[in-house]
Amino acid sequence: MSSDVILVIVVVTALAFDFTNGFHDTANVVATSISTGAARPQVAIGFASLLNFAGAFISISVAATVANDVVDSAVVTPTVVFAGLIGAIAWNLVTWSFGLPSSSSHALIGGVVGSAVAAAGFDAVLADGLVGKVLIPAVIAPILALLAAGIAIGLVYRIVGKQRPGTVTRGFRYGQIISGGMLALAHGTNDAQKTMGVITLALVANGTLGANADPPLWVIVASATAIALGTYSGGWRIIRTTGTRIIKMDAAQGFSAQGAGAAVILTSTHFGFPLSTTHVINGGVMGAGAGKRVSAVRWGVAGNIVTAWLLTLPAAAAIGALAYGLTAIFGDGALGPILVSLMSISLIVAVFARRSRQGAPVPVS
Amino acid sequence: MAVIVQTKELIETVIASLLAGVGITVVFSVGIWGAARFADLSRAERPLAAGAAAMTAALAGLVTAAAVVFGIVIMSSK
Repeated sequence: MSSDVILVIVVVTALAFDFTNGFHDTANVVATSISTGAARPQVAIGFASLLNFAGAFISISVAATVANDVVDSAVVTPTVVFAGLIGAIAWNLVTWSFGLPSSSSHALIGGVVGSAVAAAGFDAVLADGLVGKVLIPAVIAPILALLAAGIAIGLVYRIVGKQRPGTVTRGFRYGQIISGGMLALAHGTNDAQKTMGVITLALVANGTLGANADPPLWVIVASATAIALGTYSGGWRIIRTTGTRIIKMDAAQGFSAQGAGAAVILTSTHFGFPLSTTHVINGGVMGAGAGKRVSAVRWGVAGNIVTAWLLTLPAAAAIGALAYGLTAIFGDGALGPILVSLMSISLIVAVFARRSRQGAPVPVS
Repeated sequence: MAVIVQTKELIETVIASLLAGVGITVVFSVGIWGAARFADLSRAERPLAAGAAAMTAALAGLVTAAAVVFGIVIMSSK
């Protein structure tokens, strides 16, 4: 009975994380389209939401779960997964609160690593997986996107620079609809898969599913729905940062950031190195700005974003470890997860209430 | 480090991603250039040059569409 209650809490928490993932990462897909006028905000978010939902169904093979790649699966229990999810949700909300785009996947990995370390010590961490599948791609992604978008925008201006601005702007706005759609599909496929993996892992750990089982249909539908609803809710704070605060972009820059970003994500995925959508798009936006004029990029804002990226793993890990520690005080039963869930919900409500009173983090310029 | 990540594969990935990222953006831009030139040349009543520009735009559009299909295939096969 107690394990079933914990399982239900883990599933609900995983879907809550999936919601914050869509909510938080909406900016990556729609910010440049909105800021260049390629699509109206609600249309862009609705379109991204639909494609995020569809993306979750494109591939039903569960990607190697986060936990299997970075921590010893023998130490993973539903409580470890629960605490890791709390770490990820908390960090997503902190960065949302400051309007900073950060990787939800890294937050999830950090949270799970932190809770696994709290449960079983540092031996639980698979260093090779953490370095090879998380840290190195995290460094490469923004640099690669910055270079690709920077080189691309230089060439784009040479190619279309002497043509009528109206035709060129219209063309790139149409292009942004396609490139934004590809990003939304890629995001839905990547990130909804992670939630499906986490829920399936908890179902296996609980004995509800056999080892190596595929995710049940209800898990796929629930994950797709949660990320789509989160996307539709829209993380406006982060949209403002990515869309207007890093650079003031034109349609060509918006397309270069999105188009080059989508191509970089899909090509690296094809070669077996999936990269963070957040890191690629924000690197692409910086590259598209710097490619036109280095001083066009607000490097202070870019520095804040990079700082958030550097803090994501350790901060989510610390919160995940704390959540596990608090849960463990109340033993192996359901009481710990229930109390930590209630505390988390209270904190979330407080953060939303505080931010609602304060309004937007920065005025849109 | 070389054991954790195969350096050769990583370099290949970086080069291929850069080429794809720059390539698709440039191809789409050539399509826009072609469409803009087609409009201008049609107005100037130069049908041959306008046709060539339209062909360029159409070819770039086809390459872009192929890249989109390839992207969806990559997503569905991983």
